[in-house]
Amino acid sequence: MSFNGAVFLSNLIEILSCLGTTFLVMVASLFFSLLLATVTVMGNLGKNKIFRSIARGYITLMRCVPPIVLLFVVYYGAPHLVKGAFGVDINQLDAIYFAIFALSLLHGASISELMRGAYESVEKGQREAAVSIGLSSFQAFYRIIFPQALVTALPTLGNTIVGLLKDGALAYSIGVVDITGQASYLISMNLGGYVLETYLALALIYWILSLVVQKSFGFLETRLKKG
Amino acid sequence: MLTIRDVRKSFQENEVLKGVSIEVEKGDVVVILGPSGSGKTTLLRSINFLERADSGTLDWEDIHLDLKHASRKDVALIRKKTAFVFQNYNLFKNKTALENVMEGLTVARKVPKKEAEKIAKEALDKVGLSERYDYYPSQLSGGQQQRVGIARAVAVNPDIILFDEPTSALDPELVGEVLNVIKTLAKEGTTMIVVTHEIKFAQEVANKVVFMDGGFVVEEGSANEIFNHPKEERTQQFLRRILPDYDYAI
Repeated sequence: MSFNGAVFLSNLIEILSCLGTTFLVMVASLFFSLLLATVTVMGNLGKNKIFRSIARGYITLMRCVPPIVLLFVVYYGAPHLVKGAFGVDINQLDAIYFAIFALSLLHGASISELMRGAYESVEKGQREAAVSIGLSSFQAFYRIIFPQALVTALPTLGNTIVGLLKDGALAYSIGVVDITGQASYLISMNLGGYVLETYLALALIYWILSLVVQKSFGFLETRLKKG
Repeated sequence: MLTIRDVRKSFQENEVLKGVSIEVEKGDVVVILGPSGSGKTTLLRSINFLERADSGTLDWEDIHLDLKHASRKDVALIRKKTAFVFQNYNLFKNKTALENVMEGLTVARKVPKKEAEKIAKEALDKVGLSERYDYYPSQLSGGQQQRVGIARAVAVNPDIILFDEPTSALDPELVGEVLNVIKTLAKEGTTMIVVTHEIKFAQEVANKVVFMDGGFVVEEGSANEIFNHPKEERTQQFLRRILPDYDYAI
């Protein structure tokens, strides 16, 4: 058995036709995990003890579960929960929604932790200086603290997005046809043949995508870094 | 002009201010002296609400506030009448020298950009940094950063500037340039409260000296009274320690 270059190329093209789904899962999960992370970090750093406990509990739960297990828990558990709570049947909902939900839950926690780290890396004196010349707390945050925290957070955020991209591959296990889903579909169509050609083509796509994400964040960081 | 009465402040169990009062008249250069941990910095920070005092009052012309319960609006009002110069400069790291000075004008006081830029440049020229408008803080020396810090305070035209050990973080050879700027301001009649360990400077510019120790004002008076005729044993000890060749007349 030798490596078949023609199959590699044709499978690469077939897999690429599903790139849109991979992007959709990644971008939607990123969007919702950023929202969730913002709320969580506000709870975590805020004064209200109840919100803080909820935020910390959520972070711990997400840290201590393998992504694929969380995905299955969401996929099989959420319909029960929603039916019990609202009486709505979401069993027929496309698997992609469950994948996005699970990934958002997972990465919302890790992004909230990186936000906290970035926020705490900005010296207390920056805020004090801002309010001492008459800025409101909110102005101090968005004009002085946030721009500095963002620069600190960017490299880690880039890594998190790469992680999101890679974890997205798990979505195929609940039936989402993204690039990984498409690759396993191609293999079964070939009755288990050309496995290496197919997975190598898939890996190549992930390598390139990860590289693009990392390079763009590196570029953003140098652009936004002042002084 | 400004009267602070009976300020108390504790951090957990540690009572840092045990009922401190000071008065500042227009044009005063008040220097607060005292050993580390005497509460000088906390007092200064309480005036600007960077620390919230546990009790005490503030009277400033027709403003009468309870320091503990002052509303957000009152805090904003006092902060607009004062400016703060920090020990560690605390320049906005994401902004150039010019932007640092403009921030309080354009954002907090809604001064139009053109006018703010003019005022900010004048302030930077005044502290000798006309060549450094577009430098970021990381590109400036400590002395230059602190001079930007002073320009930032001067630009908003405050009634009182509060200096919190403005030269303590500086290399010895950079102290002079910063003190000279403060001296110039003092000569121009700027009202200021200065917490410092620079005794020579204090002797030169202060018209009022407050000596604090252990959370109390031990003694206060004119520079001449405190430096040349200190009444309290504690003040004498302190001056002896920081001025080795100190010889006061009784």
